[in-house]
Amino acid sequence: MSEAALALDIRDLRAGYDSYDVLHGMSLHVANGERIGLFGPNGHGKTTLLNAISKVIRPNGGSVSFMGEPIAAVSARGIVERGLIHVPQANRLFPDMEIMETLELAAFTRRARAERKTNLDYVLKLFPRLAERRRQQCKTLSGGERQMLSIGVGLMCAPRMLMLDEPTLGLSPKLKEELAAAIAGIGTRGMPMLIVEQDIAFVLSLVDRMYFVDHGEIAREIHRGSDVDHQEIMDMYFGERAAS
Amino acid sequence: MTLDALSTVLVSGIVLASVYALIASGLSLVWTTLGIFNFAHGALMTLAAYLAWTVSDAAGLGLWLGAGIAIAVAGVVAAGVLIERLIVRPFYDHRDILLITVMTTLAAMIFIEKGSQLIWGARLKQLRPVVPGQVNFLGTTISAQEALIIALAPLLLGLLFLFLRNSRIGRGIRAVGQNPNAAKLIGIDVSRLFIITFALSAALAGLTGILLGSVRMVTPAFGAEPLVKALIIVIFGGLGSLGGTIVAAYLLGLLEAFLIFFIGIYWAPSMIFVLLILILLVRPQGLLGKVVR
Repeated sequence: MSEAALALDIRDLRAGYDSYDVLHGMSLHVANGERIGLFGPNGHGKTTLLNAISKVIRPNGGSVSFMGEPIAAVSARGIVERGLIHVPQANRLFPDMEIMETLELAAFTRRARAERKTNLDYVLKLFPRLAERRRQQCKTLSGGERQMLSIGVGLMCAPRMLMLDEPTLGLSPKLKEELAAAIAGIGTRGMPMLIVEQDIAFVLSLVDRMYFVDHGEIAREIHRGSDVDHQEIMDMYFGERAAS
Repeated sequence: MTLDALSTVLVSGIVLASVYALIASGLSLVWTTLGIFNFAHGALMTLAAYLAWTVSDAAGLGLWLGAGIAIAVAGVVAAGVLIERLIVRPFYDHRDILLITVMTTLAAMIFIEKGSQLIWGARLKQLRPVVPGQVNFLGTTISAQEALIIALAPLLLGLLFLFLRNSRIGRGIRAVGQNPNAAKLIGIDVSRLFIITFALSAALAGLTGILLGSVRMVTPAFGAEPLVKALIIVIFGGLGSLGGTIVAAYLLGLLEAFLIFFIGIYWAPSMIFVLLILILLVRPQGLLGKVVR
């Protein structure tokens, strides 16, 4: 695969908190237009990986390229300016801000401001519930609404690639379906995505390929339609958990 | 209490309240955004008053008062930014940032106070009023400068509110205060907005100092008493609520004026504390504060 065809190319990335590494040299790639799932037990580095890419934490080593450009040394703001958008897990956003205010604010970078109107229309069409509650404060939203707003905020940043961290955490099956449909809709626009998920059925329905993350490394790569069946994935997941 | 006396007390209360609102809102802005108290906030007031005096007074450079105001505001904004860069920023990632910055900003306060004493001496100074003369307000004659303070406080605070509510940077400042990580992830340069917050807060302190510098005498400790009042007001109004701060400032100013009238200038300050402690016993989160912060 040529360099330019990759949206995200991560090699030997090491990162962690304080003095210990959670990621011990992680390598993975996302091709342009590709949707990738990341799954694996809690505490094995999925969220840390996203944090290290978006610079919520500073990586301790390794290389990251986005659309062919090295970004390991770029600031959090620079990452957003380039369009690599991280939608964090269980984001409580800005408690005292209203929905519309939050969405408008999210178009903060110059590039995002230029696309503000188009993106806002798209977000409100994708999540009509946000349009209905435009004057409501973030802190009064339900879990599902907050997750919608969180993804909406990501879309307002004018993403060229989205990284979603557990978009359905704690949601009811019905809401999960709703969000899955919305995320699939975003994917059909050719947006490359990296989706962290615990719910394997959910993530399998959305992605082209999956990485199984274990102890801060990629333990396995699973292609869609490959011979790894659902049961095997469950065994991998729970077997690893029982062993650790 | 005669109507005349009532009017006098009321008007002096409003003047006091306006000063408190201006000084406390700057302190509150920094608290809401960075989660720290800037104890040098009152000293910035003093610095601005001295700078304006040096430029505009006949004993100084004797220039136009407008130039003095401009230079004074620019000077305290620079000082505010320096405080943020030098003694607050190094501790952003520290668990005990609140306590550490109490120490560092107290040090800055002492530094500015003693520095002012060395440069300008202990002799009382007074600024020329921005507007000379006297006006009648609610049946009481006050200096035009005091009337200016009464009018400017709501105007400046209104502008501050509009800025925070509607402008891109203002909304960014609120976002950073409410959730710095989420703000980072939409491309907000958190550290830059911290500087802007400090600059704004310093400008407010500076303007207050200049306005008050022709009503009161300027000494090196000029800003100390307003700082203590502002601290009380920010806590009383509810931490994290700029609106609460402003409401509390007006309440406290009026309360103080009435207490001074009824029980005298010596007991009034301590009675204010007693009342505040009683109120905080009933409402620990302050007037408009949230229960959890």
